[in-house]
Amino acid sequence: MTQLTHTDPGGTPNRSLVHEDWDALTFKVHRSAYRSPALFQQETSRIWGHTWLYLGHETEIPNPGDFKSRTLGGRPLIFCRDSSGKIQVFFNACTHRGTILCRHNEGNTKFFQCFYHAWAFSNSGELAALPGDEAYADVPGFKERHRLRSVPRVDSHEGFVFISFDPDVPDLLTHLGEAAHYMSLTAKIGPQGMQTVPGVQLYSVKGNWKLAVENAMDGYHFAPTHNTFVGYLRETGFAVTDDDQYAYDLGDGHGLLILTGHNGRIGMVWEPRFGPEEKERIAAKRQEMEQRLGKELAAEVADASRILFVFPNLLLFDLEALTIRQIEPVEAGRTDVRAWQFVETGEPDEVRALRIKTMVSFVGPGGLATPDDIEAYEAVQRGIEATADSADPAWDWSDMSRGMANEKQGNQGRSIDEGAMRSFWRQWSRRVEGDGTPGA
Amino acid sequence: MGRRTVTRAEAEDFLYREAMLLDEWRLDEWLALFEEGGRMEVTTTDWNGWDSSSAGAFMCDDHDLLKARVKRLKSRKAHAENPHSRTHRMISNVIILEQGDETVWVAANFIIHRYRDNQAFSYVGRYEHVLLVDDGLRFRLRRSIPTMETMAPGARLSFIL
Ligand code: FES
Ligand SMILES: [Fe+2]
Repeated sequence: MTQLTHTDPGGTPNRSLVHEDWDALTFKVHRSAYRSPALFQQETSRIWGHTWLYLGHETEIPNPGDFKSRTLGGRPLIFCRDSSGKIQVFFNACTHRGTILCRHNEGNTKFFQCFYHAWAFSNSGELAALPGDEAYADVPGFKERHRLRSVPRVDSHEGFVFISFDPDVPDLLTHLGEAAHYMSLTAKIGPQGMQTVPGVQLYSVKGNWKLAVENAMDGYHFAPTHNTFVGYLRETGFAVTDDDQYAYDLGDGHGLLILTGHNGRIGMVWEPRFGPEEKERIAAKRQEMEQRLGKELAAEVADASRILFVFPNLLLFDLEALTIRQIEPVEAGRTDVRAWQFVETGEPDEVRALRIKTMVSFVGPGGLATPDDIEAYEAVQRGIEATADSADPAWDWSDMSRGMANEKQGNQGRSIDEGAMRSFWRQWSRRVEGDGTPGA
Repeated sequence: MGRRTVTRAEAEDFLYREAMLLDEWRLDEWLALFEEGGRMEVTTTDWNGWDSSSAGAFMCDDHDLLKARVKRLKSRKAHAENPHSRTHRMISNVIILEQGDETVWVAANFIIHRYRDNQAFSYVGRYEHVLLVDDGLRFRLRRSIPTMETMAPGARLSFIL
């Protein structure tokens, strides 16, 4: 396939919306990448149509028959556990004439019955009931041809379930690459495992999905944007620092920030706001972790906070507590967000309560910090209208060159630089502006 | 204390006055409507009656967090609320659910219109509060339960719902 040619608003044909210059040490992204409906369509097919996407966690559907309906890449899906306990992911459309089959957000069922003409499908996808079947020729064959359509690829890592709409993608662990290890670290926190809990934050922001990714990989904004949150922590007796915090390019667009001393970690690193009982529990839990994992791995799991981005739609916040955030682009200027609290299975009630209170006080549209992030994405989305088709085409680019000189010297990029964003944008460009083949 | 009967009119006065204080951003006076140790919750839209200590929530503030939230919202550095949203609260369907020895359970419906950046948002939901009854009423637990299925685009909870 030939490279796409975009015409920038200044009228100069430009091969790429992502300009990287290691002599001048500049990295720029053209702002149409956040605005253009045509590009949004290309992303939907070239990224969302051809790579692994995070769907949900196995613990959301713990029992046979449990289901959630969920839209991913704009496609309505049913995420369920069939009666034999196997995870199934179906397109949520009746095979008869396309009606949304399951109109509930969640529940438990053996059969999904379409209300329109009453076809009924088992939770493993067979067309189990076909009313008035005498009017069809070859009923068994007809039923077989009209079983529920399964998403071509479904696989999971540490309970995180991913799907692909393209059958010809590399296997999940190949896609995850180094990111798999960091998901495994998080999964090792609880001696009985980790799970999601009900109480899902569903919200939507008026900003392009890539702004949400950039924001999560951007330590530079933390001090100014979250000034009031930093002030709150200071009053509780904890001083946030930006020192000793690094950004890692995990390849294929996946990114990681490792934040040491950025915040306490419930069960692992004490902070005054957690209270004295938690201090004692942390000491005991460390012993448990060292016995279970060995000293070195226990330290790797426990000592530093991590923000992991798995390209293109999963953010795993392993901070004071844990949040799984899924981003679902809806249009160029709108992104739906779903966020789950991720907790230790079997932990004491008071720890669970502390965990939820602490995490919710930071993340989510009602936290003391995330609303300012949302303000940032939405303010960017509004601001970039200013330079569209501007007198000087150079004005319509956003700069992400912070830390390139340091990177060129071969030093590990700091979280307060923009290296993690640059690796994301490189992958984006390979996917959307390259020849579009998986892994290209 | 608390043995007196709370009328719907008294509960309405309390809720209307609270709405006024919030719409006028008189947050210190609003905070004084809580008893020491009083809490605030905003449930998620999939809420099914569960306790906020065992499930996710949009807000789950103990008294210290409530104070921190007010302090933040009064700061010019609370970017999501600088400038402040304009809010306009309508409260109706006030019901005394149950009166106990010390407390009264009050439910009400709300519609909060919020305006910012030339955009309009409306938040529809229900309150289920536990109020301490002394010579007046004070929040022991202030709980907002959104009725919407999700927060609409741009409809964040950077203010007090
Ligand atoms: S469309 Fe579903 S049964 Fe006809
Ligand atoms: Fe942030």
